[in-house]
Amino acid sequence: MVGETEQQPVAGANRLVQAFRLVRALLRHQKRTFFIAVAGAAVFAACTVGSAIVVRHIIDDLIEPRFKEGEVAPSTVAAVLGLLILLGFVRAAGVVVRRTWAGRTTWGVTERLSAEVIDRLVEQPAPWHRKQTTGDLITRAGVDAEAATAVLSPLPFASGVVVLVFLSSVWLLVTDIPLGLAAVCVFPLLIALNVGYQRRVDRYYNTAQDELGRLSSAVHESFEGVAVVKSFGAEHRETERLSLIAGRLREARLGAVRLRSIFEALLDGIPNVVNIALLVGGAFRVRSGDMTVGELTSFIYLFTLLVFPLRLIGFTLSELPHSLAGWTRIRSLLDQPVEPDPVLTLQRGGDNAVHVRDLHYSHDGEREVLTGVTAEIDAGRTVAVVGATGSGKTTLLHLIAGLVPPDRGSVTVPESGAEIVFQEAFLLAGTVRDNITLGADVPGDAVELALQVAEADFVHQLPQGLDTEIGERGVGLSGGQRQRLALTRALVRRPAVLLLDDTTSALDPATEAKVIANLKAALTSTTVVAVASRPSTIALADDVLYLVDGEVVAHGLHDELMADVPAYRQLIEAFEHDRAALDAELRGDDA
Amino acid sequence: MSEPVSRWSAAETIGKGVRAAPALRIGFVTTLFLALMGAAGRVVTPILVQQAIDRGLSPSGVSVDTVVRLGIIAFFVIVLATWAQRTAVYRLGRRSEEALYGLRVRLFEHIHRLSIADHSEERKGALVARVTSDVETLAQFFQWGGLAWLLDGTLMLLVAGVMLAYDWVLALVAFVVAAPLAFVLQRVQRHLVKAYDASREKNAAVMTQISEVVAGAETLRAYRAGPRYARRVKGTSHERSKSFIRAGTIGAFLFPSGEVFGVFTVSAVVVSGLLRGPDSGLTAGAMVGFLFLTYRFLEPIAEFTEVLDQTQTAVAGMRRVLGVLEIPIGPPEPEVPMRLPEGGLAVTVDRVDFSYRSRGDVDEPPVLVDVNVHIPAGQQVAVVGETGSGKTTLGRLVARLADPVAGSVLIGGVPLTRVSNGDLRSRLTVVPQEPFLFEGTIAANLLFARPNLQRADLVKAVEVLDLGDWLDTLPDGLDTEVGERGAQMSAGERQLVALIRASLVDPDVLVLDEATSSVDALTEVRLARALERLASGRTTIAIAHRLSTAARADRVLVLDHGRLVEDGTHTELVQRGGTYARMYDAWVTATSAG
Repeated sequence: MVGETEQQPVAGANRLVQAFRLVRALLRHQKRTFFIAVAGAAVFAACTVGSAIVVRHIIDDLIEPRFKEGEVAPSTVAAVLGLLILLGFVRAAGVVVRRTWAGRTTWGVTERLSAEVIDRLVEQPAPWHRKQTTGDLITRAGVDAEAATAVLSPLPFASGVVVLVFLSSVWLLVTDIPLGLAAVCVFPLLIALNVGYQRRVDRYYNTAQDELGRLSSAVHESFEGVAVVKSFGAEHRETERLSLIAGRLREARLGAVRLRSIFEALLDGIPNVVNIALLVGGAFRVRSGDMTVGELTSFIYLFTLLVFPLRLIGFTLSELPHSLAGWTRIRSLLDQPVEPDPVLTLQRGGDNAVHVRDLHYSHDGEREVLTGVTAEIDAGRTVAVVGATGSGKTTLLHLIAGLVPPDRGSVTVPESGAEIVFQEAFLLAGTVRDNITLGADVPGDAVELALQVAEADFVHQLPQGLDTEIGERGVGLSGGQRQRLALTRALVRRPAVLLLDDTTSALDPATEAKVIANLKAALTSTTVVAVASRPSTIALADDVLYLVDGEVVAHGLHDELMADVPAYRQLIEAFEHDRAALDAELRGDDA
Repeated sequence: MSEPVSRWSAAETIGKGVRAAPALRIGFVTTLFLALMGAAGRVVTPILVQQAIDRGLSPSGVSVDTVVRLGIIAFFVIVLATWAQRTAVYRLGRRSEEALYGLRVRLFEHIHRLSIADHSEERKGALVARVTSDVETLAQFFQWGGLAWLLDGTLMLLVAGVMLAYDWVLALVAFVVAAPLAFVLQRVQRHLVKAYDASREKNAAVMTQISEVVAGAETLRAYRAGPRYARRVKGTSHERSKSFIRAGTIGAFLFPSGEVFGVFTVSAVVVSGLLRGPDSGLTAGAMVGFLFLTYRFLEPIAEFTEVLDQTQTAVAGMRRVLGVLEIPIGPPEPEVPMRLPEGGLAVTVDRVDFSYRSRGDVDEPPVLVDVNVHIPAGQQVAVVGETGSGKTTLGRLVARLADPVAGSVLIGGVPLTRVSNGDLRSRLTVVPQEPFLFEGTIAANLLFARPNLQRADLVKAVEVLDLGDWLDTLPDGLDTEVGERGAQMSAGERQLVALIRASLVDPDVLVLDEATSSVDALTEVRLARALERLASGRTTIAIAHRLSTAARADRVLVLDHGRLVEDGTHTELVQRGGTYARMYDAWVTATSAG
């Protein structure tokens, strides 16, 4: 869970240094907007202290004279209240500026960070991606970028609070030293209370967040497996299992509630007690003539105003660990060097032929998947790559496509390279047309032609034809339909070499046969290398390339291989075995 | 979800919600009273200031004694109020957490008991959301909005009361000048909610696009479309920033508008107070106290508008949660159950119709229409048909994962509606098409069928199905972790585990939904072997995707668009030259070379 790793306690000073570095790094390109926000916060702070001064004047210059001497000049009233209203507007403007520019800062930085991560993601080639987990990468580009910058939104206000505490202290001390000292001493107490509370309550909130995550995945699992749950009559057991997690969530939340109830009450209670103390102490100062009633009252007024802003400091500090964790994760991704593009390892030849020479490939340098594959595939031929699971068929195709680099050996492809159609058709959210062109400039009739060859005419029956939205929020397509779209995607590019990785496996036999016949008819000059498993598909190829454990055992006509290579014959028969055995059985039954 | 729910008013929803989560009601009056006591702490300072100014700091001389005495009284009031507030906050928090826990447990139980028809793919996400995010909306509400109602609501009431007591004219002036604030805030709030909704949508779009770039990395690479799609994500991300900044800017005006109204209200109060003067009975202390009260009164208004919005969201969440509880639970338990007879069980499907309930009002097209079959005890039947022919559904009805819309299913001559769930589950077992494994070990997944079995029983079951050699190939045998949803195992291995799991129940009727995914040759052999051993001697209904399975069965049922169109042995049906014969020909072509 994310929350558990985030809360590494860091020693105080070290933490501040880290925080400073983080903020400096984040603000590198957004200094101006950030300082505007801070300026807004400072204006707010100054006006807050200013409003306390006005309150003093309201009491000393308006209320006291009117109620104790009977008269007050209208011009004084206008002046004092005018000042009050002016300060109110300026203070409000300060808040607007602070909040608006704080938002601009935060989102400006988030956008920049996300962009850097995205650029890096598409820059890194396939081998790098295979070493990562999908969920982790998605988290980094999305959630981590937001987490890293989360500390920026309360930061201007927190800076404003520092100014506020400073100005208030100055004003309190200037007005009355003994009483001011007493009040100023309470600030650190309140700040410590806030920070201490936030740190302790975050522990509960993080636990609760973790438990909520666990509950979510358990609920997902349990509901997804509901057929199993029902068929074993385990409804009650499952409810108990989930309730246990929900119970732990409740306990964590209750811990937070217990702390919070005390904190909220103290945060109201302490300033109130201080107010009483100020009033009692103030009575002595007023009696000795050192202070006016207005000054005393404005003391209390200012104190009340400070309680909420002081909370912000604790809040900002609680964002810090999350932001640091998010930032660290993003940095670790951006600091990885961009790996060389495997496409550059391909050699370019003159015609449409594919030459594979002594090709070696291993996953992580350990298990060799290809152990010296050599094959000459002449221009315009259709070759079926046949072999048992794990014989290296898909890897061979990925090497020819230049998706992964060979450990040794070479691949020669035509100038224009090769187009590959993957086993799993990956469709992106967007229209059918977008999914076919993927942004390339393809004329409409080329799309039509490719659709016909791939037997993908079904797109015209979709609600908006080629403009129908598919993917996550659009029309759902069957596996066979997806495969045919993926094939169309390759065909519109008029490839010199077409690599098919078992791309018709989800089609019914009749449609598959049609697609293959279409391909043969349409792609006369294209070299096709196709991983195939159905005997009917294999039979349609010109040649067969037979792989065993990463080596080419035979390359030739299907019939030749059937006659000369016993292992190949056995493999093909295994595909047919099921039916053959059945035929034998049924014949036995009939007899 | 069920339609009537969406017509419930907010009050109705809250009423039903409290009934569904009765913990909320316990001691609520006490909590409210404590909150009111707690609010008293917040009016102590203004009253104290007033009293001190009028009685202790009067022009006739400063009486420190009076101020000290007042201070001591105020101190005790504050201690009491602080305690009361803490207790009120804690009580509300505890009750709401207990209530939400109870609600979740009810939801788990209820959803697990819903018919499989209510668990369709498109609704699964919604059901998960009900117990996670919707209940979370309520939790958020109780943590912030609910608390604000409790504390700020009582505070505003109390402050308004004290203001009226001091001077009703000034109080009215304050209320009238401040009143438009609530209106302004509500309007800003409405824009704000819309702006944030738009922002959240943009955020979701960014997330989706990021995951596409990651999950489709190889495709984008192969088609050199990476930079273009990166630009697309960055474009959406820029729109997201703009949208959030816009929402932030609207929000930036929310708090300051309270500020502006505040200074006008205070000015109006001061002017009216000065005009009224001491002759009206108003004192300097009361004036000062009144200023403080005015600030206190205005403070929570801005928060309240946010709370109102949060309350609406919470009510909507509650409505959705209650909507799930309104769905009648799946095949209901019989009131007077009949025991299944001992020994082998025949299966009878009698004039059965079925259709899945859809998301809207309109029912989906029928899945099964007037299906009639009698399967004698011990017979091995294969059901075939194209995707969408209704064969999987037929299996589900026999297993009573749902009840037919019309007609009935009988087992051993007893209608399924009269069989208790416990009895049925010990005599009939389903092996689903894509066997679902829970995260954990193989042993844990096997024990899911019969939690109180011993390890020796599991080992024996593996031997009976002749799968010992397979188990030996696994790193930790029975203790091998299967991964999330069984992802560490191949599709074939998941099926093997599911077969062993089913065998532990030792059922008399076996409903077997064959997998479509292809498996390697060796696993195929093991599967066929295990299946044969598992099926022997039991009434077996295999939903067949491989025609080899159908051909080996005693009898083949062919479904087409929900109707039973052919019924006979493999040989008979092939000779008849109908639907089955056509399917068989296509299969023969696909599996032979040339």
